[in-house]
Amino acid sequence: MTTARRFGIASLAVILLGFAAAYYATAMALQGRLAAGVSMRDALLMLVAGVCVLMLLVFWRGVHGSVRCIGSQLENMTRTGEIGLVMTQGRHELAGVTRPLNEFFTNVRSQIEQLRSENRELQIQSRIAAAEKHHTEAIIFSISDAVLVTNQFDEVVLANPAAEDLLGFQLRTSVRRNIDKALGDARMVRLIRETRSHGREQSRKVVEHEIEYKGVRRTFAVTLSCVVGSGNQVSGVVAVLHDVTREKEIAKMKTDFVSNVSHELKTPLASIKAYVEMLQDGEVDDEETAGEFYGIIAKESERLHRLIENILSISRIESGVIKVVKEPLSLTAVAKQVLDVATVQADAKGVTLKRKLAPVYYQVDADSDMLYQVVMNLVSNAIKYTARSGTVAVNTDVDEARGVAICEVRDTGAGIPAEDLPHIFDKFYRVRANNELAKGTGLGLTLVKHMVETVHDGRLTVTSDEGKGSTFTVELPVLR
Amino acid sequence: MSKNVLVVDDEAHILHVVSMKLRNAGYAVTTAMDGEEALELCRAEPPDLLITDYQMPLLSGVELCKALRRNEQTRDIPAIMLTARGFDIDAEETRQAGITVVLSKPFSPREMRRAVDDLLNNGHDARGAGVMR
Repeated sequence: MTTARRFGIASLAVILLGFAAAYYATAMALQGRLAAGVSMRDALLMLVAGVCVLMLLVFWRGVHGSVRCIGSQLENMTRTGEIGLVMTQGRHELAGVTRPLNEFFTNVRSQIEQLRSENRELQIQSRIAAAEKHHTEAIIFSISDAVLVTNQFDEVVLANPAAEDLLGFQLRTSVRRNIDKALGDARMVRLIRETRSHGREQSRKVVEHEIEYKGVRRTFAVTLSCVVGSGNQVSGVVAVLHDVTREKEIAKMKTDFVSNVSHELKTPLASIKAYVEMLQDGEVDDEETAGEFYGIIAKESERLHRLIENILSISRIESGVIKVVKEPLSLTAVAKQVLDVATVQADAKGVTLKRKLAPVYYQVDADSDMLYQVVMNLVSNAIKYTARSGTVAVNTDVDEARGVAICEVRDTGAGIPAEDLPHIFDKFYRVRANNELAKGTGLGLTLVKHMVETVHDGRLTVTSDEGKGSTFTVELPVLR
Repeated sequence: MSKNVLVVDDEAHILHVVSMKLRNAGYAVTTAMDGEEALELCRAEPPDLLITDYQMPLLSGVELCKALRRNEQTRDIPAIMLTARGFDIDAEETRQAGITVVLSKPFSPREMRRAVDDLLNNGHDARGAGVMR
């Protein structure tokens, strides 16, 4: 800039000098001094002036050419968008201008290059971030637990389909909506707000929460965590809802089972202990009563033993560790074995045992000990709950169309009240109305049901008419 | 006159042993197999003492005792509870039902008799008659 100014001033001085010389020569000529003879000094002055004008013209032309050259290069750069160096093409008049100009251009170009490289880097990072976001969303969407993410303003940011389904909203229409408008669950809204406001004091908490889902009340373990962003500020909350309904049911069933088992074990044990102590304390003074006491102690011990065996068998079947040896055998043959043994019990009770058995050649794939236990248990129960001169009928048959072998145990006994019928296969369930008729463990039918259905893929069903009798039916797939 | 004890249990063996032990000790014993039957017997002729099982059909031992407390005539009958459900028993509820002694099954008839003796001889009985042994 300074160089250009200096150059301008010099040019102006030379032009002024040229004009002065020309003016002087013209004045001399007008005064007629030239005609009278021009002095040597004047002639020299005029020559100098002439040379100056000539030099000025030559210099002007050079400068003009250089400026045009530079201008055309700059226009070219503007057109192409590329910054290059300004060349003077052998004209050095403006070298003082082009050098700093080129230095400036070089700087600008390197800065542009650097910015371009940074831009490329940012674009790559942005693509990676978008891919990672997509990946994270895909993971969250695939989780079966409901996941809901909110921001620092308690607005919905992200939720997976499980959360949409459970909490009854659509992410598409709820993004950036405040949770108290998006969610219809006031307690959930409060929990998220509390978590956000307590923030860093309590990074994670698990709360049990009940939600009605598809008409059923279900329990969820809700894990609430704060998302802490840069600057250690809470930038949102993540809520994960895990369904623990089944776990709670199982835990309750386990507790109930243990409680029932201990009650059932203690009952015969209480009798044994009490009778033994009565004998020890000499409360019994006649032989007959003492004999009766020993008999009760023996029976109650046997009941306790059966109870323990049944509990173990059920537990083994349920956990799948029972040893099962299946072989082709005939349901009719098993029924015959049972009937042979049960005749003694039936005769003692005065109950008539009837039989109508199908041919033996139909076979089922079964564990013989278990199948014997199944039929024996049903027949023995039927005799126990049937009064003197009643009838117990054991029938076997085959339903070829359905491919099942059938064993039916029908009695004319006490029957099962309608309200008890759905529960008679439950553990420790006893029909109170029939409690007087026979002592049971409350596990016999549970075990039979397990043996037929869990171990042999069969079916055990019951029909009953209170006061008239019951029919238990075992169905097992026939071997073909 | 011997004091009357009402024994309630749905297990026939327990009824048998408890009644025998108490009869041998000189008490008059009445038995019932469920809570409702016991409640009727108490209302008809209030016993001097009640021994009841916890878990029974129709009416549990605790419900039976609560029902007795609501009636002027049966309010002061002292009660002993026998139970095989030791862990399920709510001590506060038992106290409110006026059950003085809880014996866990399997129980000792000897201890049970001692508890009956203590309750009937230590002023729990408003009628205050002597016990014949």
